[in-house]
Amino acid sequence: MKKVTAGFGLCILLLITSTTSAQDSTQTELNMKALSGNPGSTHLLLSGVTWFGLQANLSDTVKTNVKNTFNDFGFSPMFLWKLSDKVFFESEIEIKNDGSAENGAAFDLEFAKLSYTANDYLTIGAGKMLSPFGAYNEKWEPNHIERFPNAPLRPDDNILPDDSHLFWGAIMGIDARGKIPMGSSKLTYVIYISNGPTLSKDANDRPTGVIQYENWNDNNNNKEIGGRIGLLPFSNNCLEVGFSYKHGIANSLTDTLFNQNREVSNYNIGATALAYDLNFVKSVPDLKSIIGIRGQYSSLKVDQANYYLNDSATYTFDNNLTSYFAQFSFRPAMVENCFFKNLEFLIRFNSVTPPKDALWGGKATTRLDIGLDYWLSWRTGLRLAYEMTSNPDGSKTNMIIARLATGL
Amino acid sequence: MKRIIVIIALIFAAITATTIFNGCAVPASIASKSGAQLWAENCLRCHNSPPPNDYSDGEWAAIGAHMKLRTNTMTDTEINKVVEFLQSAN
Repeated sequence: MKKVTAGFGLCILLLITSTTSAQDSTQTELNMKALSGNPGSTHLLLSGVTWFGLQANLSDTVKTNVKNTFNDFGFSPMFLWKLSDKVFFESEIEIKNDGSAENGAAFDLEFAKLSYTANDYLTIGAGKMLSPFGAYNEKWEPNHIERFPNAPLRPDDNILPDDSHLFWGAIMGIDARGKIPMGSSKLTYVIYISNGPTLSKDANDRPTGVIQYENWNDNNNNKEIGGRIGLLPFSNNCLEVGFSYKHGIANSLTDTLFNQNREVSNYNIGATALAYDLNFVKSVPDLKSIIGIRGQYSSLKVDQANYYLNDSATYTFDNNLTSYFAQFSFRPAMVENCFFKNLEFLIRFNSVTPPKDALWGGKATTRLDIGLDYWLSWRTGLRLAYEMTSNPDGSKTNMIIARLATGL
Repeated sequence: MKRIIVIIALIFAAITATTIFNGCAVPASIASKSGAQLWAENCLRCHNSPPPNDYSDGEWAAIGAHMKLRTNTMTDTEINKVVEFLQSAN
């Protein structure tokens, strides 16, 4: 009886195995047919950027101070997910040394944006996205694209808290973008609405009168509106000029201080920023080189407001700030020598002028950067720069910075 | 608030004007540009031009969608030409 049962069980097992196997074969054949006839409409790429660098301070004469350090490393995995011809999702996570994290690295979601292309002239996006204000933040900031080992001088460098993000960083909101051909030229546009900035009134938080962007929860019911218009006048797109604008109400609904000495109740303090940018890149066969000129001028104006001078007194000032940089690059990419063709020479001038009457303001800070790149491959570059900073107090700071960066 | 309205009005005026201008047909010499030519002209504006065989067909499709939005300078037709050129190397 046991033999009959065992034989019957074996037959059942063989039957199940052969059936499953047949199903697998059928499914495999179906999958193969699908693959051969249709390459698929969903595409995913896991890519990213990584970098490592060091800096040496040549100006500090105090023997006990650290003059050189490996202080710059990071890794930014980027997800590009094309769900269909109309729907696209992109996201980037940044893990980097920002000098504050106990374990030497800070974690941040740079952007996570879902976009829907309605037609050739309009794409609508939503989520956390890079601010389209100016050209630097969205187009030139990634470390494998930035030719220098660091970014241009920004208001957040030594003048304002690092998380102010006046002219760079991300926004949380919705945007619409597209481009419109005009004969041999093109007009591009981005319009967005996002959480607005906040204005500091209390020095215990941050310097009074400082605007802070990158607010993931808004402090009032007004939203920031902004955008950029770009013009590419030539058919080969070698030149692009852009104008950007953004405006938002910065004070909180409950801030009574900002309403003092005002005839109008619920006085709104607006923050308005403008930017002009230019990018010109051209191959010059006569010089066997590629030359590049780029720059951006940005300005911020905050409406007149009262700020705490101390616990009992207030003061006010013209809260205007400007920042700009201009850069020239030269790469003899078409010479035959395989060493020189991978070199790129750069020079950049930077300036930031804070509000002169603010407690944290004063004269301008300027910086001249002289750079040299060696391209190890199309995506990997070794960047060197000598940076000379003129501080508002008249002192000068000279630094050498190096970075190895690769990406995409 | 008035300033916002003026700016928004200017933006829409510019878009309307360019839509009208768009009635001017794109010259044939520009419309007939190949994917290779567009690849050489446009990638270089921000970064070195990547070799076509560095990514698979599907990856090029994802990169094309990313670049279309990030640079916001190339039309759908131009991006598709570049992606097809890059995919043709595989």
